[in-house]
Amino acid sequence: MTKSIRQRLMLLVLASVVAVWAITLITSYRQAKHEVGEWDNGRLEQAVGTLLVVDEANLKKLAAVGFIGSDDDDSQRIHTEETSRELQFEVRAADGQLLASTPKVPLAVGVDALVGSSRSGAYMLKLAGGRWNTYTLHSSVTGRSARVFERVGGRSNLTSDVSRRIARPLIVALPVLALLIWFSIRRSFAPLALVSREIGARGADKLDPIEVHQVPDEVRPLIDALNNLLARLRLSFSRERAFTSDAAHELKTPLTAIKVQAQVALAAHDPAEQHLAMQRVVEAVDRSSHLAQQLLVLARLDEASLPDLSPVVMNSIAHGCVAARQASAASKGVTLTLTHNAPMSVQANPTLLEILIDNLLDNALKYGSCNGRIEVAIFREQLNAVLSVRDNGPGVVLDDRVRLGERFFRVLGNRESGSGLGLSIVTRIATVFGAHVRFTTGIGEEGLAVTVTFPNTNFKHESLEPSAA
Amino acid sequence: MRVLLVEDDDLIGSGVEAGLRQAGFAVDWAHDGRAAALALETTKYALVVLDLGLPKLSGTELLKGLRARRDDTPVLILTARDSVPDRVSGLAAGADDYLGKPFDLTELIARCRALLRRAHGRSVELIRYGELQVDPASFTVTRLGQNVPLTGRECTILVELLTHLGTPLSRSRLEESLYGWQEEIESNAVEVHISNLRKKLGASVIRTIRGIGYVADKTS
Repeated sequence: MTKSIRQRLMLLVLASVVAVWAITLITSYRQAKHEVGEWDNGRLEQAVGTLLVVDEANLKKLAAVGFIGSDDDDSQRIHTEETSRELQFEVRAADGQLLASTPKVPLAVGVDALVGSSRSGAYMLKLAGGRWNTYTLHSSVTGRSARVFERVGGRSNLTSDVSRRIARPLIVALPVLALLIWFSIRRSFAPLALVSREIGARGADKLDPIEVHQVPDEVRPLIDALNNLLARLRLSFSRERAFTSDAAHELKTPLTAIKVQAQVALAAHDPAEQHLAMQRVVEAVDRSSHLAQQLLVLARLDEASLPDLSPVVMNSIAHGCVAARQASAASKGVTLTLTHNAPMSVQANPTLLEILIDNLLDNALKYGSCNGRIEVAIFREQLNAVLSVRDNGPGVVLDDRVRLGERFFRVLGNRESGSGLGLSIVTRIATVFGAHVRFTTGIGEEGLAVTVTFPNTNFKHESLEPSAA
Repeated sequence: MRVLLVEDDDLIGSGVEAGLRQAGFAVDWAHDGRAAALALETTKYALVVLDLGLPKLSGTELLKGLRARRDDTPVLILTARDSVPDRVSGLAAGADDYLGKPFDLTELIARCRALLRRAHGRSVELIRYGELQVDPASFTVTRLGQNVPLTGRECTILVELLTHLGTPLSRSRLEESLYGWQEEIESNAVEVHISNLRKKLGASVIRTIRGIGYVADKTS
């Protein structure tokens, strides 16, 4: 199968035309052949009828000069071999006695033959010297029977000649038609070439919609789809650019802190002041490496190839995360609890689920109140598996709450240094899992609650993997 | 010289505060825009070092409010957003200088000094007053070419008086230039510093105006 639509169209159209013409030719040929046969038989019948009524003397004369079945000019002209047109005949009396016969009556045709096949009508007989069309007529008045013979080859010429007349213009027309088809197809494909030129002339960063006027209906969906793709690309490019720019700005903050504190340490004469500044340098380095870590997590999450999801039991992972943070919670006087009943299995990736829970816990610890409470719960809500992390800290006002999942969004006014990426990582991971994140008020209408809902989870508490235990 | 530092980031703020202190400035550190606005309404600052991305009240708003009150305190903007349009809009809002993060602390201090100098109508750092030559950057004072050893606070008071020639400055005004918010103020500190200055530089340099304060007279 050729790859070019133009070539394929050309081939298909030409093949169809040739096929239709061939069928037309064959049927015309058959029709012509049939008509010619009818006409020939009529001619023979007429001749044999004449032979029956002619008297014996004339018959002998006729036999001597030969008998031409028809002097139709046209048919005469068509025939190439004049002798083949000659009709042979024999006429017999009622008792089978030969009354007259032309000298070239085919051999092996004798009394018996005529008598044996004395039925009236047209027959094709295989006799000496080839095949003959015969016509036999029996007169009930005189008892005579007459038969005319004509060689078969003599008349088929007419049909092939007619066919040739029909076919010749068609064969001549075929190249002309091919040329016309080629030209039409080429013209019809011109808009495609225009679109290709328009796209080909674009630079890699030119993502505005393709504008080609007078596009045929067939090409319109292609252009629409391309424009749709371009729009999505534009969006993702600008998002990426914004992300890079935001990330760079966010990195500037800890870098500034490192530089300023290091310079303070260098200029300080007081050892205590120097020590404090160096401690802050270390703190700022920690902060920037945390930011870099979070950026890496987000970048990996944005990659096309995401990890495969498999059934993961949330309980054990949440338990590990909570246990790992008990010490830092205790140092802030925070009570950190985990409530879970039956093991809850969700479609997830264990590493990502751990990052998700870690981020939620870090967030709650960082922005919750000192001596407050953080409650982690895993429960079932109708068909959904739910993970919720609630605190009783200062919370987030509704206007800010809707923006919590945005990258680099930080609630202004808090003194904690964060990357502004934690909850956007949570949201992104939840999207990968097909889960939904909601931000509501926390414990006793105070603080913040983050609820991650895994929809339509198939609960099979009995059939858990061994690692779940 | 009392400077208001407006910065929401703890690590940067503490570093700049320490750096400005080392350079001899009295520093007040406001963590958000509202606190900064309040401080600006109640205290006269020689200079404001302003971060633009502030909680509660943005740096740009704060700056516009300041200029709307016809307060022409020099303002130096610190920000991570340092593209040309950002700089232009910051300067258009009334800033006197612009420094992108991450900045060099020594450059920040040098720019602060330059802003203060210009605010006092000087084009060079050195202040000449009669027989005295004062370098506020290095806290060095010479009298007839001879180095006079002064403490940082004595020097600050001298510079404060010399940059407001002919204008009497009250004791509390001088105290403000000496101490930031967190620092303990000693009750008779200003008097002690003045008497030390008179001992080291001669009694004629600073004149006391009873009930009002101290003044360095304009030299004819």
